[in-house]
Amino acid sequence: MTLSQGKALFIWGTVISAVLFLGLTWDTHRQVEALSHVDKLSDDVVEGKRAFEKYNCNDCHTILGFGAYYAPDLTKVVQRIGEDGIRFRVTNPEKAFAASWRKMPNQKVSVAEIDDLIAFFTWVGNVENGDWPPQDSKKRLSRGEERMVAGTGLSAGAAVFQSRGCMNCHSLQGTGGSFGSALDAIGRKLKREQIERYVRNPKAVNPKALMPAQKDLSDKELEEVARFLANLK
Amino acid sequence: MKYRSQNIAYWYFTIALLLFALQVVVGLWLAFSYSFTVPQWIVDKFSFATARAMHTNLLVLWMLLGFMGGTYYIVPEETKSEIYSSKLAWIQLVALVATGVAALVGFVFGWTQGRPLLEIPRPLDIVVVVGALIFLFNVGMTMYKAKRWTAIQGTLLGGLVFLALLYLFGIPFYKNEVIDWYYWWWVIHLWVEGAWELVTAAIFAFVLMKLTGVDRQVVEKWLYVEIGLFLFTGIVGTGHHYYWIGAPKYWLWFGGIFSALEPLPILLMLIDTMQHVKQRRTEIKNPLTWTIAIGCAVMHMIGAGVWGFMHTLPQINYYTHGSQVTVSHGHLAFFGAYALLNIMVFYYAMPKIKGIEVYDPSRGKVAFWTMSTAMMLMGLSFGIAGVVQSYIERVLGMGYMAAQSYMRLWLGVTFFLGIFFFVGVLIMVTDLLTLRPARRRA
Repeated sequence: MTLSQGKALFIWGTVISAVLFLGLTWDTHRQVEALSHVDKLSDDVVEGKRAFEKYNCNDCHTILGFGAYYAPDLTKVVQRIGEDGIRFRVTNPEKAFAASWRKMPNQKVSVAEIDDLIAFFTWVGNVENGDWPPQDSKKRLSRGEERMVAGTGLSAGAAVFQSRGCMNCHSLQGTGGSFGSALDAIGRKLKREQIERYVRNPKAVNPKALMPAQKDLSDKELEEVARFLANLK
Repeated sequence: MKYRSQNIAYWYFTIALLLFALQVVVGLWLAFSYSFTVPQWIVDKFSFATARAMHTNLLVLWMLLGFMGGTYYIVPEETKSEIYSSKLAWIQLVALVATGVAALVGFVFGWTQGRPLLEIPRPLDIVVVVGALIFLFNVGMTMYKAKRWTAIQGTLLGGLVFLALLYLFGIPFYKNEVIDWYYWWWVIHLWVEGAWELVTAAIFAFVLMKLTGVDRQVVEKWLYVEIGLFLFTGIVGTGHHYYWIGAPKYWLWFGGIFSALEPLPILLMLIDTMQHVKQRRTEIKNPLTWTIAIGCAVMHMIGAGVWGFMHTLPQINYYTHGSQVTVSHGHLAFFGAYALLNIMVFYYAMPKIKGIEVYDPSRGKVAFWTMSTAMMLMGLSFGIAGVVQSYIERVLGMGYMAAQSYMRLWLGVTFFLGIFFFVGVLIMVTDLLTLRPARRRA
């Protein structure tokens, strides 16, 4: 290769890539309108984004997978822990994470700001982003769930418990979250029917409950997970 | 050193070195926070987020100071003239360092733009832009007045202008989170896989040419091919960040294919470095500078090339996106491509500025091998943590903290390795600031 061929490769390589990239950028702008539901991008959502930036949330958490990796991804946070779950954690992190070995700072976020944050997270959670992150996907069975159900000796209820996010808050044998109670011996306290009723709508049983209602579980899944938990004695 | 104004570079390098050491101290705190419990009262006053903003901004600041110092060293030799204005170079250095210090102190008190890596508040962004304009003006005027153009200085100036332009896309407030990330990557990706690669390729070509005595024609030919490939793959390669942000599906194809090609120019750089070494026409006076140059080419290939290739395949990225795998890739790539490049320039230029023809390499050798080994192992321990996280959190769906408890051990190992890395950095900083001539062979 000669010097002038090298030069030509540089010029054409750059121009082709840049033109293609700018063209795709134009088209992306066009399509993002629908993919991100711009019609629902209200002032509250924008204010929520401002609060999200004001408190530098993104330097511990990721959102859409970007940011720091010190705390859970917030793309589907509303779906995962519910509005009350967010409210409690942001307002009283010292209580919410009292038992956790990783803490969250109390930044004295105002009530209005938390409402805006929730509006923002709700909007982000509805962005059509290729069903990411996988742990919050409602479309696919997780690899673990498939294998467990395929009969590695684990009951269907245990598979539901592991794969439907219960362990984000609850723990078994010390594995899992510390936000909710440990469930190692829950069967001593509650019967299967009681567990079913509670999981379906915690507030109906205990108005002070922080656990979000599990609306995504099918009746079959609920029955199985309750059977599994009721047997933990 | 042939030109008096090259002296300025020494101060850019010195400050860059001190900031590098500070960056690693903060990094140790971050690694500590991952595996040990930091009590609530500390977290309330000095959160992980604040420390992380410091760690990344220090990185950007010291590397840019290194690039700028490198430019002020190289441009006089390429143009065969003094820098247009030494005074402007000083003003610019003071402005940038003052901005950096103000930003770091500001973070502690919650003054932030609140976007990762772009935390510098908007009023300070203006100072950064003014500083960059002074720099470009100064370098541009030097080249203009000298009326001597080389491919190396052209690439250098082009890369720096591109770098400054892209910074502008990081300044506005975007209402739409999707569009926000879209342009955030114009700064971050097009910097590290575009503009910074241009600057790197130019500096690397300059040092190689000086060290090997290989013809300028040959060096510049490869430089064109490399930067052509960097930009061809790197620009559309930005798409590998657009897989899961709510952008159209075609980015999976464009991002996946173009970024799979991104290792090519890096591989080419590695091969042509090796070839130049073989065909060298001058004797090797300072073997350590050599070792670092080759280490840079190899680590650049591993961290940016191989790790980047694996991590950006959409099928893998679905599970590893935003996990410690990203962190592993980030550390190896930045260290390989940009930290070692700067260190190579420091070891090339600082002895020359001090008038030392052959320097004593004993401490520098220990520093280089300590840092490189520790960083390679850190890349692996971050990587193991990342694979554990991807499997437990994403594949099995067992929840974030469940995964973190299995990763704790590996992040503890990273902290331990980080201490070794820090020792290496301290040795290097001490060595570079107190360089001694080598004792003559008897």
